[in-house]
Amino acid sequence: MEFSIYRFNPETDTLPKMQRFTLPDDQVEPGMMLLDALLLLKEQDDSLGFRRSCQHGVCGSDGMNINGMNGLACITPLADLEAPVTLRPFPGMPVIRDLIVDMGNFWDQYRKAEPWLVNDSPEPEVERKQSPEDRDQLDGLYECILCGCCSAACPSYWWNPDKFLGPAALLQAARFIQDSRDEATDHRLAQLDDAWKLYRCHTIMNCTQVCPKGLNPSRAIGDIRRTMLKKSL
Amino acid sequence: MRLLSGQGAWLLQRITAVYVGLFVIAALGYFLIAPPTDHAAWVMVIAHPVVALGSALFVVLLLLHAWIGLRDVLLDYVKPLALRLTMLTVGAGALILLGLWALYLLIRTGLA
Repeated sequence: MEFSIYRFNPETDTLPKMQRFTLPDDQVEPGMMLLDALLLLKEQDDSLGFRRSCQHGVCGSDGMNINGMNGLACITPLADLEAPVTLRPFPGMPVIRDLIVDMGNFWDQYRKAEPWLVNDSPEPEVERKQSPEDRDQLDGLYECILCGCCSAACPSYWWNPDKFLGPAALLQAARFIQDSRDEATDHRLAQLDDAWKLYRCHTIMNCTQVCPKGLNPSRAIGDIRRTMLKKSL
Repeated sequence: MRLLSGQGAWLLQRITAVYVGLFVIAALGYFLIAPPTDHAAWVMVIAHPVVALGSALFVVLLLLHAWIGLRDVLLDYVKPLALRLTMLTVGAGALILLGLWALYLLIRTGLA
């Protein structure tokens, strides 16, 4: 199986290039994931750089652009990919080496969403309880693994990565805005009410299309807007 | 809620779109069913208080809608602050002039 992989080493290269790799057919096994193939290709050329950790779609380390679509290599079946499989780093993010990108800005924007529970009420003896209905509000939000596939697929984030929070951070903002235990909803909504942080989203919906966990950041952003509207009326 | 930023702008863009959309549909329907035959008929239609007021509101809301759209495009694409501010100022000035011109025409027609 043929692969075309983006290669760039800032210490030796002035320009990036695409490098052809071939995985012999006898090494391709049924049910193999793209990450398995990458690990075998790394045995051919150990200078090939990519991130991976849990290999089960939980840690979100191995996000990359696979045949033009962002996804996680560890849960992308090789059989579903058209050869030559073209692998590039996340678009719009600075390349550290090969398929490894600098996600510093992504984490900065995540931090701006203040992704922690704010509750200054006296701590109960056991735990802060939620009704099952309130807990259900967090479904589709809490499962995000912060792989960055969505933000790296978002044109608004490419254009203004320093000002627009991006779909991943906004999904987290929605997660805490929806949380019945959180007491900072007004503060969270006020923080987002400017021209940049939330409202650069033009509902392009690339985020929803690429999310490897099947989440819907676009709908979460819409929910934030609706909550903001209800609060301001 | 800030009027022309964040949620205010987003909401205003949608509200203005509804009015502009309905106005355009109504105008197209009118022109398809009973188009004015000559200049005098045109003047009579435009000079009617309801049409004049509706048209004036249409102009104002259309320009507000256009401003928010233009601002969105410039915020998205134009990075250098000085250039962005210049383009925003020129855009706003052009839209205001267009609005004043359209309102002048409406008032002149109404007084004719």
